[in-house]
Amino acid sequence: MHNVIVTGGSRGLGLGMVRVLSSAGYNVIAIARQESAELAAVIQDSGRGPVHFRAFDLCDTPGIPGFVKALRREFGSFYGLVNNAGLGTGGLLASMPDAQIERLVRLNTVAPVILTKYVVRSMMADGGGRIVNVSSIVSFTGFSGLSVYSATKSSLVGFTRSLAREVGKVDITVNAVAPGFVDTEMTESLHSEQRAKIMRRSALGRLVAVEDVANAVEFLLSDKAKNITGTVLTVDAGSTA
Amino acid sequence: MSVSVRSTILSQFEQVAREQNRKLAPLSDDLVLMDSGLDSLCFAIVVARLEDALGFDPFGATEDARFPVTLGDFIAFYEDAAK
Repeated sequence: MHNVIVTGGSRGLGLGMVRVLSSAGYNVIAIARQESAELAAVIQDSGRGPVHFRAFDLCDTPGIPGFVKALRREFGSFYGLVNNAGLGTGGLLASMPDAQIERLVRLNTVAPVILTKYVVRSMMADGGGRIVNVSSIVSFTGFSGLSVYSATKSSLVGFTRSLAREVGKVDITVNAVAPGFVDTEMTESLHSEQRAKIMRRSALGRLVAVEDVANAVEFLLSDKAKNITGTVLTVDAGSTA
Repeated sequence: MSVSVRSTILSQFEQVAREQNRKLAPLSDDLVLMDSGLDSLCFAIVVARLEDALGFDPFGATEDARFPVTLGDFIAFYEDAAK
């Protein structure tokens, strides 16, 4: 059974991915700082593939090599990595505390890059794998109050494209998904007016559900996507169409 | 220990060259790695495999990780780290 790591797997999009990937028969390793009641329920009642929780704070970047080593010892080789964990802190750049900016960049950009470094090495040694980075449509559309978040999400697109070129020869694919606004805790701060506006402007007249994004991730991990690499799959109900 | 480090390294060079369809130059201590026939991706695979086989990665452990020039330097780098 293929091992797939999902970061930020305790809530929101990540939890949805854990559910879908378990149903698809993967052995899912959910990483988060803390286990949530929802994730505990998924672990109890997992789909075809078992779900495991391992606690780790990805802001602890010096701890990442040892953490990945321990996972490899425990679970064996990695087939997939989904870099989903991220902060969605919003606020006008002009008034955002510097420490908050650095924390956003650390968790949303530096941590997935370093985590990928150590996981991809293991994939290279084993001769293949799949990496999916969770970006966002704001990386190409822009959204007032999300400049730093957007910068981090754009960084993952550049990372995806170049890494795909680096590791393609060893049969590792690297792709990104760019979700539109999804109903999760991260977007609950949007006013109902903003929410209505986003829905109105989307081609399909609705918001994207967590499962839509999780299904896109499952597709990119599947054998059906074996010849897709270095691309961004937008899942936004046509918001950017 | 040093004999096994050396033989592990040499067998990884040969295996990765085979897998990546590279023509490997005859392996000797004074072989310049850039002339070995392996490219940077091959070396990344070799280093990842050696970490599995030997249990350590001397490149990850140092801040100043300049890549060794010759095969002899490469082997010595691993043998020193194994001490």
